[in-house]
Amino acid sequence: MNSGIDLQGSFIQSLQQLGIPPEIAKIFWLPLPMVLMVIGAVVGVLVSVWLERKISAAAQQRIGPEFAGPLGVLQPVADGLKLVFKEDIVPAQADNWLFTLGPVLVVIPVILSFLIVPFGQNLLITDLNVGIFLWISLSSIAPIGLLMSGYASNNKYSLLGGLRAAAQSISYEIPLALAVLAVAMMSNSLSTIDIVQQQSGYGILGWNVWRQPVGFLIFWIAALAECERLPFDLPEAEEELVAGYQTEYAGMRFALFYVGSYINLVLSALIVAILYLGGWEFPIPLDSLAGWLGISETTPWLQVVTASLGIIMTVLKAYFLVFIAVLLRWTLPRVRIDQLLNLGWKFLLPVALVNLLLTAGLKLAFPIAFGG
Amino acid sequence: MFKFLKQVGDYAKETVQAAKYIGQGLSVTFDHMQRRPVTVQYPYEKLIPSERYRGRIHFEFDKCIACEVCVRVCPINLPVVDWEFNKETKKKKLNHYSIDFGVCIFCGNCVEYCPTNCLSMTEEYELASFDRHELNYDNVALGRLPYKVTDDPMVTPLREFAYLPKGVDDPHDLPPESQRAGQRPEEIMEAMKAGASE
Repeated sequence: MNSGIDLQGSFIQSLQQLGIPPEIAKIFWLPLPMVLMVIGAVVGVLVSVWLERKISAAAQQRIGPEFAGPLGVLQPVADGLKLVFKEDIVPAQADNWLFTLGPVLVVIPVILSFLIVPFGQNLLITDLNVGIFLWISLSSIAPIGLLMSGYASNNKYSLLGGLRAAAQSISYEIPLALAVLAVAMMSNSLSTIDIVQQQSGYGILGWNVWRQPVGFLIFWIAALAECERLPFDLPEAEEELVAGYQTEYAGMRFALFYVGSYINLVLSALIVAILYLGGWEFPIPLDSLAGWLGISETTPWLQVVTASLGIIMTVLKAYFLVFIAVLLRWTLPRVRIDQLLNLGWKFLLPVALVNLLLTAGLKLAFPIAFGG
Repeated sequence: MFKFLKQVGDYAKETVQAAKYIGQGLSVTFDHMQRRPVTVQYPYEKLIPSERYRGRIHFEFDKCIACEVCVRVCPINLPVVDWEFNKETKKKKLNHYSIDFGVCIFCGNCVEYCPTNCLSMTEEYELASFDRHELNYDNVALGRLPYKVTDDPMVTPLREFAYLPKGVDDPHDLPPESQRAGQRPEEIMEAMKAGASE
């Protein structure tokens, strides 16, 4: 199996030719993908904020932002700049340390999770063999940050919002992990690369949605709840809790929460794309297509085309899911806290368990189709 | 055992139904995305108020006979009519007249009942002020005529939906002589006259 373009290898090799030892060349390489990924994540946030505002406007027969840049594309930048220049306020009775640490603890694990998001065979920061598990464990740090900021704000709305956020994240973590477990069982690996690889070869037909339709739905519902998106935005329910744990936040600290929630949305969409929609795979199997046309897999232009198509496909799938999330936001009313917990514990959890059992059974019965 | 299976089946049926309803809801929101935005870019664009729009009330001081009918028909007796009896002419002489638009509900009863038609509705609706006492209009303020939207060079006047030509639903860039759907009142009058003379 050809592994496609290896940017790291070629970068280190070219530095070695300049007379730099391989260890130092590797150190030169290290920051590049990280910086690129952070920039990518931030741009992804800007795009999704713009999409959210435009799609929301369209769903309500409005125009949405249109004066800042063409079609209002610069509106999220303007919003962000406004937040940067705002006064940094800490409430008088608040715990200064926890108050600052809270939003940081929410954002950092989300950005760290981008470590394991692959955009192609070699287009990711690290191919950990516990990849997807890292994401699950990192995402369970965020509720601590939320609880911390809710508690430190010295405000009853913030505290309630923080508690709700913690309850919600903890209850939806379990069906999420179970849905992931079913996928991991099918691909015999936790590595995101292996999970995508296992879906490749048959184009759109090989994607995990067809083998895990229930898991896909469970994962998407749980991911929405983890991101605190409507219909599960109870922690910040404006009508009851002012803004939940964000009530006392302003300026840059608030911006951290804001950015964190959107990065989390983009990240969840990317993970769904990787786990269930074939990651960077094109709907038509490109490798076989090249084979039929008689083009060698190692042809440079073909590798460039497949690599860029892979990035485009991953981003497209992720943004399609973001679009669905925005549409869902304007379709569904917010659930109550008891309904939320009922859905999590009494519906998603048993269904996810049954799904896992069924997957295990099918894996034993049809090892070819379900990754023996 | 069968009871349990039935319960599971019912629950599954309910779930499927819920999913179906969510799908229907999604199709409604999706459908709305292709519709024309109804946005009016105020203050660069303004809708032309309809003929019977009930805006700020106009008052003609000289026509008023201080009969106080407007006060009596007003739900809260709002108009303040300050008059004194002129013994020589044996007529009421109006000194001041005022309506507080911070309290007025624009029901139009005063306009309806005024025997001399000295009260009328205008199409003015931009009454915002920084002090609520400024909303208490005296007879001078009530006598001012509003600035028409169609005369304002800063504003693109937009027609309301009912005043658009047949089949058109976008008020922007209409051809200048386009008429609304159906006949205009004067056309109906002419048709009726023609019908009567036949």
